[in-house]
Amino acid sequence: MSRSLLTLSASLLVALAACDGGSGGIVDPGGEDCPLNPSQVNVAGNLRAVGEGCVQDRYTSELWVRGGWAYTGTWSRRGATGLGDALKVWDVTGSAPVLRDSVIVADAGTLGDVQVSDDGRLLVVATEGGRGSIVVYDLANPRKPQEIARHSSANTQSGVHTAELARVGGAGGKLYAFLSITSRGSVVTVDLSDPRNPREVWTQQTGSPFTHDVFVRDGILFTAGWNAGTTVWDIGGGGRGGTPASPVRLAEIRTANGKVHNLWWYHDPSGARRYLFVGEEGPQQTGVVSSGDIHVVDVGSANWAGAREVAFYTVPNAGTHNFWVDEPSGILYAAYYTGGVRALDVRGDLGACTEAQKTDLRDDVYGGTVRLCDLGKMGREAGRALAGGGAVSVWGVQMVGSTLYASDMLNGLWKIDVSPLKR
Amino acid sequence: MPAKPSLHRAAPRATILRGVRPLALCALALARALPAGAQEHRHGEPAAAAVRWSLGAQAIPLVTRADPALDGQARTETYLTQPGVMGHLSLWGGRAEATATLSLEGATLRRGELNAGIWGEGYVDRRHPHTYLHEAMAVVRPLGAGRALDVSLAAGKGFAPFGTDDPMSRPFVKFPANHHLSQVLERAVAVAAVRGGPLLLEGALFNGDEPQGPGDLPEWDRFGDSWSVRGTVFPAAGVEASASHARLESPEHPRGGVLDQRKWSAALRWERGGGTGARDYALVEWARTDEYDGRRRVFRFPTLLAEGAARRRGVEVAARLERTDRPEGERLLDPFRAPVPHHDLAILGITRWTTLTLGASVGASPLAGVRLRPFAEAQMLHATEKESTSLFQPRAFYGSERMWSLSAGVRVEAGSLHARMGRYGAALAETHRH
Repeated sequence: MSRSLLTLSASLLVALAACDGGSGGIVDPGGEDCPLNPSQVNVAGNLRAVGEGCVQDRYTSELWVRGGWAYTGTWSRRGATGLGDALKVWDVTGSAPVLRDSVIVADAGTLGDVQVSDDGRLLVVATEGGRGSIVVYDLANPRKPQEIARHSSANTQSGVHTAELARVGGAGGKLYAFLSITSRGSVVTVDLSDPRNPREVWTQQTGSPFTHDVFVRDGILFTAGWNAGTTVWDIGGGGRGGTPASPVRLAEIRTANGKVHNLWWYHDPSGARRYLFVGEEGPQQTGVVSSGDIHVVDVGSANWAGAREVAFYTVPNAGTHNFWVDEPSGILYAAYYTGGVRALDVRGDLGACTEAQKTDLRDDVYGGTVRLCDLGKMGREAGRALAGGGAVSVWGVQMVGSTLYASDMLNGLWKIDVSPLKR
Repeated sequence: MPAKPSLHRAAPRATILRGVRPLALCALALARALPAGAQEHRHGEPAAAAVRWSLGAQAIPLVTRADPALDGQARTETYLTQPGVMGHLSLWGGRAEATATLSLEGATLRRGELNAGIWGEGYVDRRHPHTYLHEAMAVVRPLGAGRALDVSLAAGKGFAPFGTDDPMSRPFVKFPANHHLSQVLERAVAVAAVRGGPLLLEGALFNGDEPQGPGDLPEWDRFGDSWSVRGTVFPAAGVEASASHARLESPEHPRGGVLDQRKWSAALRWERGGGTGARDYALVEWARTDEYDGRRRVFRFPTLLAEGAARRRGVEVAARLERTDRPEGERLLDPFRAPVPHHDLAILGITRWTTLTLGASVGASPLAGVRLRPFAEAQMLHATEKESTSLFQPRAFYGSERMWSLSAGVRVEAGSLHARMGRYGAALAETHRH
């Protein structure tokens, strides 16, 4: 090859390198072809699915149900184009959820959490994968959520994983959104008393390395800090002068194997507030196998300093995700990804068991072995749904009336009859 | 309803033009200014001078067409890839050395280079840009160079002694998918190496965290949380057999607390000739990365690779066959990007990539001190999920399980470049530059 030809070739290639040669253009997929139906998923388990709202173009994430309407988020990317930027609006008044609308959220790749405020006026959606934010919708027409505000800041930019709405200061108190920023391991609190003008009032690193969720009740904020464990904060109900804008740390609670993902402080019908349920999210190959146990922490009567883990529940080859507790009936419902839904009887003393009902639990994070009551051996498992009859990956659950709603990453939204467990 | 945003967000054209053109010109200007092959010498030779140095630069204008790249659609893109400057300094007859490589990919390769099957540092199916300070190592050889017993201590930012040479110093421009299984690089590392006769032993301490962007520096307070060892045997001239093991703490999160890695590698390498003359080269490597949650193994990613090249009268032909299992993670709005750091310990599946790569290049006489080597490479790729229920299904994502990639460009080189990358001091076998 001659020298001049080489020089020309090099020049052309350098010139090409100075140009943007990208191409794009992607068509949104369509079609709702349900691979599973209730009769197929009811082959195992005593809790029967009665209806399904099918989503096949995207992966479904969290759900919230209120007043005959359900809202589900979407997650990551299904195939090349099924982006997690759609908020699905469902009519759930019939036996099967009926999809009424899909609201596309701009500059988002995952809508990992949705929640309606206690007065039913607002819907808040957490966004990740693009601009980390919360989007606030007016629910004057629950079928057609209207965006009224979007809040993002340097503290939320990396992605808002969950947004928990809670009123602090009783029924007439201020509404706040407590945001978990997973990748930063932090929590951000946003004052929503003027929902059109959300105002950030506090942020704090709380997790190591992640913070995946929070739980708020009675003026106490619990943060799920992965290997930092659960941190308990006074934000108005702890008697230490804490507020949502200036929380006071009360305690840190460790549970075996860390990876604290989600929480529920259980108040039983007698008024006892003894147990904190901790969800551990272990490694998983989503859709194939998952891991992570439910841990039971005895907190006495809000005796945070003396809190200790007393029991756990494990499912082979499946890991827990989000909870809902039917508190009047004393039933904890747990999403279990590939394991479907598990229902646990959580009434009474969960830390009282025979020696034969205990199991040694190896703690790979903090070291050593702990011997705990095993809720499975204690016969506390009260029910199963969506378990063993087809490929499911259950993300979240919520109970309304005698129906348990379960969001399934692979299939959409299920309605499950849990009346056999109502007490 | 707000309009759905485009899933593909190409960098603005003006930004690309502003960023790449000056750098391309600078790289070429630097290359032209440096004499080719200056200061070349061989390791192991008695040092003739107290001070030796070398400097080199390279850049590769490249066009790649991937078909399909995503959703059944082909993409054709151009890059200035692997632009960099390499330097080496030897003092006191080789008793002290310094080696550095500056990479400019952070400026020229921000969107990543189409390279199906590869992943890491927030890029998927695009090779990520390396850090600006790719390598900066100081080496002391207390016994001096060229002794029967060669001992060295090296420290700085660079490669841990694990696996095989960096793909930058191997025959193909397109990286193999197994880069993150077969090399551990860009760490704050201290390496001890002892070589006696046909045996070489290396051990190192370093930080487990991998970079999160081109400007990222190692987490210095994590230095020493990870280690590796590599043993190499040189049974005959040009032949080396190595085995290595590494334990990395939480490589994918700078604060730690995520999955740890235990890595194994075994490789057989042969090389004859070199420089600009006739050259034969072959490498067979097996490597495996196991990911652990505490003491519990949760994922396993094996790789097997064989490659070879032969050069005669300036024409080089090369072939590579690779099979690598890759974890699939969550992706961002840009389908070629993943969150960094990760959000949890989940993967969406494991994809087995089988790739055949063929390449040819032709050398030319230097042009005003610049060596030009036009090349073309073709890849035939096959991707399939290991579990049928995995969330990530290659056929659904790419539009096909079979893909092609065609690339053409010119290696533009000047001065003296590192012939091997990933070994320091006593661990450098034979020549280290060409």
